[in-house]
Amino acid sequence: MLLLQYLVTGIVTGCFLILATIGFSLTRRVEGFLNIAHAELLGVSAFTTWFLNTSGGWPIVIAALAGIVFTAVTGLFIGRVVYDPIRSRGPAVLLITSVGVAYVIGGIIDALVGTGIRTLDIGLPTTYRVAGVRITDYQLIVVALAAATSLSLALFLSRTRTGLAIRAMSANPALAASRGVDVRVTSRATWLLASGLAGLAGVMLAVVATLSTDIAFHQILQILAVAILAGLGSLFTVIYAGLAIGIAMDVSVYWIPAGYRPLIAFAVVIVVLVFRPEGLARRGSSR
Amino acid sequence: MIVQLLLSVITYGSLFAVITLALNLQYARGGMINFGIVAYLAAGAYAYAIVTQEPPSGLDQYLFGFDGPWWAGMIAAALAALLFALVTGWPTLRLRGEYLALTTFAFAEVFHSLLLNERRIGNGSVGLSNVERPVPEVAGIAIDESGFFAVAALALMLVTLLVFHRLLASPYGRVLDAIRDDELAASTVGKRVGRLRLQVFLISAVPVGLAGALYAMITTLASPSLFTAEVTFFVWIALILGGERTILGAVLGTFGLVLFEELSRAVPFESVRAAQVAASVQHVLTGLLFIALLRWRPGGGPKGDRS
Amino acid sequence: MTALLEARGLIKRFGGLRAVGGEEGLSFAVGAGELVGLIGPNGAGKSTTFNLISGALAPDAGQVLFRGEDITGARPESVAGRGIARTYQTPRAFESLSVLDNVVLGADSAGERLRHAFSSGWRAEEERARAYAVEQLARVGLSDRLHQRVSDLSGGELRMLEVARQLVRDPKLLLLDEPTAGVDPALQEALAGILVELRRGGMTLLVVEHNLRFLLRLADTVLVLTDGELLARGSPAEIQSDARVVRAYLGDEHAA
Repeated sequence: MLLLQYLVTGIVTGCFLILATIGFSLTRRVEGFLNIAHAELLGVSAFTTWFLNTSGGWPIVIAALAGIVFTAVTGLFIGRVVYDPIRSRGPAVLLITSVGVAYVIGGIIDALVGTGIRTLDIGLPTTYRVAGVRITDYQLIVVALAAATSLSLALFLSRTRTGLAIRAMSANPALAASRGVDVRVTSRATWLLASGLAGLAGVMLAVVATLSTDIAFHQILQILAVAILAGLGSLFTVIYAGLAIGIAMDVSVYWIPAGYRPLIAFAVVIVVLVFRPEGLARRGSSR
Repeated sequence: MIVQLLLSVITYGSLFAVITLALNLQYARGGMINFGIVAYLAAGAYAYAIVTQEPPSGLDQYLFGFDGPWWAGMIAAALAALLFALVTGWPTLRLRGEYLALTTFAFAEVFHSLLLNERRIGNGSVGLSNVERPVPEVAGIAIDESGFFAVAALALMLVTLLVFHRLLASPYGRVLDAIRDDELAASTVGKRVGRLRLQVFLISAVPVGLAGALYAMITTLASPSLFTAEVTFFVWIALILGGERTILGAVLGTFGLVLFEELSRAVPFESVRAAQVAASVQHVLTGLLFIALLRWRPGGGPKGDRS
Repeated sequence: MTALLEARGLIKRFGGLRAVGGEEGLSFAVGAGELVGLIGPNGAGKSTTFNLISGALAPDAGQVLFRGEDITGARPESVAGRGIARTYQTPRAFESLSVLDNVVLGADSAGERLRHAFSSGWRAEEERARAYAVEQLARVGLSDRLHQRVSDLSGGELRMLEVARQLVRDPKLLLLDEPTAGVDPALQEALAGILVELRRGGMTLLVVEHNLRFLLRLADTVLVLTDGELLARGSPAEIQSDARVVRAYLGDEHAA
């Protein structure tokens, strides 16, 4: 039954990965590059929430919302100030630049927060036992949020004007512009949305995991793995990819030492890129 | 104190400049983005350590130690880096831009994870200590060690610089430039793009492996914590700082960055926390400079992807 | 006589749209020593066909045979190694190399090998390649531009540079994609002269052109492509009087 336990934990991890990656994939799809600094936004959100919650004494939900909004705005700011002016340089340069951005954000967080582990001022998790498997209420929240977010995003992208504009832009920006899509507004909406999603993931990270200043870096590798497996730029396959990698990572502990858990993610990256760069997406559907 | 600082800058500046030179060759001339170059350094360092150290005893968990002479260690280091570049380069070189960046990154992380978790290779996180360091002496008189290694590192860097320069000035270099400018046009006139890219990868790996061996000699330690992605990003920043096009720029950028780091390390801080904040601030400043350079340097940077 | 180049049932699709090849795919043959013209309205698939032959693209179906050997889907460098050279619709050049070096590169001098990077044994080879490059550049009228940057050249001159780069390889088959686009009339005459010379020397040429006045004087045979399929094949005279061809070219104007 240990295996079943790992499977369940894997699903939770997978749901977290979905939340963390979906904004990343959105950025890739609409803005056209891999934003390595996306993972740092998780840190921004996590620590802002932590600060408001512990030092400010704010109730967790309010603190979380504030953290998410702050992260969304930060992401927008960076998108407009740093990335927009150099978009014409191509995805490789943007990728390299995002490494610099990650450095800056990481440095700021380090300077402000310092090393050491932080915990949120929330109650201890309540553990439920279902069919011999343990799961906490916080973990359930992660799963629920992942489901809710995916559904909302799907509705948003297919029903709202901005959502449709985002989809049009990701397919073909020039065509979208000629059809009347306001590229600038849509781009900004994308930054807000993607960063907000990162913010949500960051809060989840703070709730279920241990909070230290280097968590962001550890996450980027897994986010990359999920995004690549999903097929860069694909959004809905992120769900399958996230679950697949989450489960693979946690279940693997059954057979190999826990230290190798992140290795699963890297191995996936290598295998996918070498053998099937488009990942799980249909051929020709992603850029 | 100044002398110590100077020696430190020369030693580490030279060592890291070798890596930056390799990056310059791979990226500016070969058009390949390698985000996992630290792995070559690690391969070289561990190969050197394993070949030169004594067989395991006592609390050691590693399996191999051949107690070989330092020069055997250096050869092993070069070979190890070469092998790593071959194994990881061959299936991936047809990947472009960001995909290659990710794959190289992933390979380096896999390697790092192996070194960390497989105790039988190198004692896991503890690493291999007491790495053999040849005692420098001339005509039986011992020389100052830090001075000696500074010169050794400098020599390695200069040789690498000369070799790369010669290579790029030759007709072979012309082919590399052409491939970087327009890969399709180059293959249209019969240039074997994949093969040439692999050659560049391999050629640039060797000096980095040797630098790894030197690094292990100098620190007398080979531990996974020395070979993290931080190193890769450090040299990338050095590369961009110096203007990634020229060989001289790669060297100057590296020395500049190392000087910056050494200077800030030399400042006496009142508390551990203050030192940490200073280090973070330095990170932030470096990152900002990096972003600014990528954006504003005239005629700088790679051209956008041409599909 | 076996054809030098043969296309058999070539089909290429781009995301559901068939760019080359109808029901049975595109098939044609080019005999050795011929100068064959390939014409057709925009979007007919002419450049795509070139890409399928030169290895820039792999066909979804069909074969490409060169001198009887199957080169379908071979990589561009492999195709080039067999003696097929081509120019592109938008001329391609190496911006960091000088005009002369752009052509020398095409000569495949042995000096370019890695092992010669550190020796001086390659000098003779290099000299030979350089001299030949200078000759070809003179042929296309770029003698006074040898050491200039590629960015200093006009569009027409870039096209000529690309031609020179291919000529220096002494190919058996030369594919030219719209060689006269953006080239002034005097240079066009020179180019026509070069093509005649090349033919007399035994080279086989396949030329895509919109400039019918230029092409129809020179070609032995003309292939007409529309919507990826072969509409007609014949001598220049036959093609010009073929009602279907006229309609295909001018049809849009009449309909609109």
